[in-house]
Amino acid sequence: MRQGEKLTSHLDWPLLIIYFLFLIMGMATVYSTSLNPEHPNLFDYSQKYGKQIVWLGVSLFLGLLVFLIDSSVYRKFAVPIYLFTLVLLVAVLFMPPINGARAWLQLGGFGIQPAEFAKTGTALLLARYISSLNIKQQNLNSVLVANAIMLVPMVLILLQPDAGTFVVFTSFLFVMYREGLTYDPLVLKIVNLIPGIKFKQTWVGTHFIPIMFAVVFLCIVTLLLSNNTLTFDFLPGVKIPGFFGVIISLLIFCLIAFFFLRFNSSKRDRRRITTVILLAFILSTSIASSVNYLFQNLAEHQKDRIELVLGISKKDEKNGKDYNRNRAMAAVGSGGLFGKGYTNASVATIESNHVPESETDFIFCPYAEEWGFVGTFILIVMYMIMFFRIIMIAERQRSRFNRVYAYSVVMILFYHLAVNIGMNIGFAPVIGIPLPFFSYGGSSMMSFSVLIFVLLKLDSQRSHVLQ
Amino acid sequence: MNFDTRKYVIIVFILTVGIIYTIRLFFMQVIDDTWTLRATEVSERRKQIVPPRGAIFDRFGTKVVSNRTYYNLMFVEDDIKHLDTAAFEKLLGWEKGDVKKRFKEIVIEQRTYRDKNDGYKVKPNYQSDRPYAFIKEMTLDEIAKIAPNLYKFPGFYEEITSMRSYTYPNGANIFGYITEVNEKEIEEDSYYRKGDNIGRAGIEKFYEKELRGQKGIKYIVTSARNNELKPYMGGKYDTIAKQGPNFRLGIDIKLQEYGEKLMQGKRGCIVAIEPSTGEILALVSSPTYDPNLLIGNRNIKKNYPKLILDKDMPLFPRPLAAEYPPGSIFKLLQSLIALQEGVITPESGFPCNKGLVGCHPGHTANNLPDAIKFSCNPYFYAVVRRILQQGKSKNVFADAEIGMNKWYDYMMAFGLGQKFDSDVTGLRPGLIPNSAYYNKWYGYHRWAFSTIRSNSIGQGEIKLTPLQMANVACIIANRGWYYTPHFVKSIGGKGSLPQFRKKHKCKIDRKNYDPVVEGMRRAVNEPGGTASRAKINNEQKIIVCGKTGTAQNPHGEDHAVFISFAPMDQPKIAIAVFIENAGFGGTWSAPVASLMMEKYLTRKVKDKEKEKRILEATFKN
Ligand SMILES: [Zn+2]
Repeated sequence: MRQGEKLTSHLDWPLLIIYFLFLIMGMATVYSTSLNPEHPNLFDYSQKYGKQIVWLGVSLFLGLLVFLIDSSVYRKFAVPIYLFTLVLLVAVLFMPPINGARAWLQLGGFGIQPAEFAKTGTALLLARYISSLNIKQQNLNSVLVANAIMLVPMVLILLQPDAGTFVVFTSFLFVMYREGLTYDPLVLKIVNLIPGIKFKQTWVGTHFIPIMFAVVFLCIVTLLLSNNTLTFDFLPGVKIPGFFGVIISLLIFCLIAFFFLRFNSSKRDRRRITTVILLAFILSTSIASSVNYLFQNLAEHQKDRIELVLGISKKDEKNGKDYNRNRAMAAVGSGGLFGKGYTNASVATIESNHVPESETDFIFCPYAEEWGFVGTFILIVMYMIMFFRIIMIAERQRSRFNRVYAYSVVMILFYHLAVNIGMNIGFAPVIGIPLPFFSYGGSSMMSFSVLIFVLLKLDSQRSHVLQ
Repeated sequence: MNFDTRKYVIIVFILTVGIIYTIRLFFMQVIDDTWTLRATEVSERRKQIVPPRGAIFDRFGTKVVSNRTYYNLMFVEDDIKHLDTAAFEKLLGWEKGDVKKRFKEIVIEQRTYRDKNDGYKVKPNYQSDRPYAFIKEMTLDEIAKIAPNLYKFPGFYEEITSMRSYTYPNGANIFGYITEVNEKEIEEDSYYRKGDNIGRAGIEKFYEKELRGQKGIKYIVTSARNNELKPYMGGKYDTIAKQGPNFRLGIDIKLQEYGEKLMQGKRGCIVAIEPSTGEILALVSSPTYDPNLLIGNRNIKKNYPKLILDKDMPLFPRPLAAEYPPGSIFKLLQSLIALQEGVITPESGFPCNKGLVGCHPGHTANNLPDAIKFSCNPYFYAVVRRILQQGKSKNVFADAEIGMNKWYDYMMAFGLGQKFDSDVTGLRPGLIPNSAYYNKWYGYHRWAFSTIRSNSIGQGEIKLTPLQMANVACIIANRGWYYTPHFVKSIGGKGSLPQFRKKHKCKIDRKNYDPVVEGMRRAVNEPGGTASRAKINNEQKIIVCGKTGTAQNPHGEDHAVFISFAPMDQPKIAIAVFIENAGFGGTWSAPVASLMMEKYLTRKVKDKEKEKRILEATFKN
């Protein structure tokens, strides 16, 4: 630390404030969903909210600790930290399983999930590695090393097994993409094996990751909606087949993108943008159509299998295998515009237990049920603000290390949001991952806090480092 | 290479997901109601709170029908763990195998439905996660034996319910009873749900809509295991159950009790009415039953078949629904019509000519009051001949028809041959024949007085219900009018119902009642009168006016009829007593009426001799 400089100077207050807002909202929701009328005291440590308060305190203390350490330490100690989290991930595999997974490390009565901390370790090491590369130096070697940094913890996590966190680790692919590390070298290696072909770059290889995710997302949404007919409360009798809903949504979305981008680009780019968006619309529509067509023309038993995997089987919907998601959606959907009111949730409470895990993985349910669309809209807007703030922070870094780390943070948080809320609204299969800053649980609260505070620290000292 | 544009790819990616999720949430939460319905289905229970029925009081404010707490032994199959059937049977005091039988029975009671979504397969309505009554309507004593040990049988619990309670074992045919609604009633009235009770007879049936009160509805959040957790949204949408209003009846329960006691061992009825209001003071149907026998489904199951199969028909409300020939009491009405028509005067005398009809020996009726006193049959043949054959037409048959039509109009004005618009169900109209009736029976103009003369003395085709007989006594007591006889004095303190405040006038001038009343006085109070047993031997010198009757019974011993009122001036009670197979009305019915009137007017009976004689008499064969 330079002399005369206050600890809080260059601190990014907007990010810190939104972080604290999330803590308050999350705490309120944990309290509401797990409220025990016989022990209503927020600080009653026999209750989940009392425990969560302790976790909050510990997390803030960790955050302060992180903030006291000079930012250069994270760069210097990235490798030991990463290795330490790997050791924990290995150690956890020798623990007795809880609910069929070896995810918990018991430390004197407290349980922590090493997988949560592995995200931080991986983010730091990836930042360290990428920042050490020459910016033009995308080659097979660097791509493989970067992927290995990501894949080692992923494999260990899959052994627990913890599908949710496993999926979250793919968020680092976007970070690599942002930094120019793509699968293009791999693609080139294969493509150039064909005699007579000597590509220097392939478009597909370069943009493989975002394209793949967009296509997967589109396919899932199409499948989920194509089976349903949309009916309206205020327009009785009006029925829109789900597939038309997808097409209409795509059209609206492309139009919005078109007008948004046209007014924000130079004259030179406009023609290109028009072409790209038109192409994107045609492509996405044809993908959706073909997925829909294929699905509708599948044999009944094949259809059943896909429905079961996606958890949209009509037969299993109400009380069968898709019970959890069904109840979660009932809770969210019954919130209405303004919600049922704080502590008035009837579906998503621990006590009623219609939605299991309503204080952890399904905490979005009680929130959505109590605050309605107004609440969920505000929540999503707040997350968007947080993400864009972090991207802004990332882009203002002079150090590549800081930028990679910042992108890791935003992508990890975004993944958690997308998957967690996705499974509450029927857009993602039910894989248990927490909603950042909301879900009950010490490990996730601590790891998200550490992620944010390390970022704040790096950002506050961004002028110190050049590399 | 510059990768800065790739940040836009990431921004667009995040923004897209944010927008799509927001739209999806808007659909799910605001537009599409599927999920709201699903949430309601899984997490809410709409619970009806059935209020206790309105309580019923007698005319002096004694509570006669109230509610008592009973207990249902409930169970939820899914909550039952390792049921020790033998121990449970022992606790309930049941036979081996009864518990298993009962479980099967409950499933059958719930019936089945055809599942539309599953190829119309027949499926039971019974659900193992729902509560059902294992034993219904246990008394406090019964549940108290079980409750301390119930904890050993998880899944079973007690639930409070309200059932009727009767202070007196009397008035069963007045109050009626309640049972569970049937499928048809549930279909017809959306108020009812399975397991609700509905009035089946008497006041419970007629005033069902008032007595049942207003159900309350509670919306309760239930857990995934179907436990009730808390009021939905803090009870915002709940409504409170309202008990039915208090009913005040015209019945004097002490008089009712006394009447039922007097009628023990006899078949018949007593109807007592307060003439000035039309309120029924007592309505005894004998033999009767203890209303406590029909409390709750367990009792009804046990006792109803016995009651319905009893050849004495205790469930049959005779005073309202039995139609009897009135016998000689009908002479009073014939007298009134004749006087009004001017075909006789109070001083008219007719010889006791036993050529057409028999009569008691040793009298000559030189005027109308004496004719009533002696109940002289030939006299009234002569009277009715004058009513029917007034010489308005040369043709004797046409003349009879003219007379008959007039006579019929009077009968209608007396409220006969029709159902009263009263507050009771199951009323019968009785029968007053008119000319159309006889034209059909004998052919047009093929009948005259001589054909139908037995009507003169209340035999023939004429039929009255005991309630109508008592009302005839009311009309004479009031000297010309009546209020529709009814039970309910006031509902919720609001006073009598408007239809019972409408005075019915009877087409007979006030002055024409005096000779008839005088005749009734003589019948009771003068030596040689047919109804001397109706006299009240009391220092207050209450003057009773009455008229005996004997209704001919082709199947056996004649029925004894008596109507009367007292005191003679400003009457407080009018009464009809009908005892089947008791023979002459003066011998048995008159003393019963006398005792009832004494009881009502003086609140106690001094003539213990008379009382003893009646209590000991039986006329059942
Ligand atoms: Zn005679």
